[in-house]
Amino acid sequence: MKDVLIPVLLILFAPVIGGLAYGFERIVRARMQRRIGPPLLQPFYDFLKLADKRKMIVHSTHAFLGIMHFVSLWFALAVLLLGGDLILVIFLHLLSTSLLILAGFSTRSIFSHLGSNRTAISILAYEPVLILIAVSVFMLTGSFEVSSIFKYNEPLLYKMPLAFIALLLILPIKLKKSPFDVAEAHQEITGGVELEFSGIFYEAIYTAKWLDYVFCYTLVYLFAGNNIMLGAALIVFVFLYLNALDNSSARVNYKQMLRFSMMVALPVAFINLLLIILHLSL
Amino acid sequence: MKLSSFRKKSPWILHYNAGGCNGCDIEILACLAPKYDIERFGMINTGNPKQSDILLVTGPVTKRSRERLVEIYAQMPEPKVVVSCGACASTGGVFRGMYNCEGGIDQYIPVDVYVCGCGARPEQIIDGVIEALAILEKKTKELEQSVRLKRDPVIESTQLNRRNIAGEIVKTV
Repeated sequence: MKDVLIPVLLILFAPVIGGLAYGFERIVRARMQRRIGPPLLQPFYDFLKLADKRKMIVHSTHAFLGIMHFVSLWFALAVLLLGGDLILVIFLHLLSTSLLILAGFSTRSIFSHLGSNRTAISILAYEPVLILIAVSVFMLTGSFEVSSIFKYNEPLLYKMPLAFIALLLILPIKLKKSPFDVAEAHQEITGGVELEFSGIFYEAIYTAKWLDYVFCYTLVYLFAGNNIMLGAALIVFVFLYLNALDNSSARVNYKQMLRFSMMVALPVAFINLLLIILHLSL
Repeated sequence: MKLSSFRKKSPWILHYNAGGCNGCDIEILACLAPKYDIERFGMINTGNPKQSDILLVTGPVTKRSRERLVEIYAQMPEPKVVVSCGACASTGGVFRGMYNCEGGIDQYIPVDVYVCGCGARPEQIIDGVIEALAILEKKTKELEQSVRLKRDPVIESTQLNRRNIAGEIVKTV
């Protein structure tokens, strides 16, 4: 009973936790630029304001796909937190992103199309690495289940540090942070796929961003296994790393992003897999 | 607590240059920079009319930009306010009367707050936006909805009736 209670509470309050993380991140980012920054609850103020705006939709399918993106992302997060199959979690996340891509292609706006193209390319950049990491976990623990990571006697970080480095390399792509924020690119294509959403339908996309934070930080936490202190340290480290990287780098174009992912992140994950197989066979 | 009280806590700004000299735009960007930091009021400079609340226009309306200005205004969902920033956007400024220029933006869209100055200083722009927030909070959706005017069409004696001029309609079936 107690094992289920904490994940269920985490799932129910995932948007709230993600919103707080996003608000805190905006403050940290502002302080890094020597500004004061918005209040901590700023994302929730935005949320409540957007609820009051007039709803303008392009067409009903577009709005529906936007909401389904949010729902399926929440579902993927629920499967992850309840200790489900890691491959299933990765593909559910892929499903939610592909719904967003469909929404982007369903309008006639050229920026929306560009955003969809670039989101598809960023999936191509991070998805193989995630799957290789999941396969490494399988080789090590003998199961794709997330719960088997917690049953494993040692934190995964000590067994496969290269996989953690590969995850660090693709997290900026996944969370749309600079230098790999081509999919969102506010100055260039004004948000990409989220461009045509407004009012309460934009809220779904905006909240899905918070859920993505919870999703990614849970993936980071998995590397600590049962060690809670190590997990907290990893999350703080990744938070600072992402924000420092976001503030200190300029955007690269999608070709450079794909090349970096294929030439650096994917080989690192692959070498990690080979080392684990070598380690197990010895 | 009413939802409308959150409007002034997260106003998202859309900035449009209708054909000015970029002086006011630089001052608006200075508001975002560390010295004035308007993000501490929750303001974001979005580039997207569909998600923004305040339209911040600089520069006089040129003949090329007037359609874009009206289009952007129409794409913003209610409630929304318009702040004309600088002398050019308010009256036409030094460009007034030129062959390519149509004067202030209030000829085409309703303006709520005028900010003077050439270029308007960042303090003035922040003051103007804060003033606009008070107006934004009071606005209701009904106030801005389009209404059908209940007025009969004007028929003057000097008006030509085209039906009278044109020939008879002959059915050729």
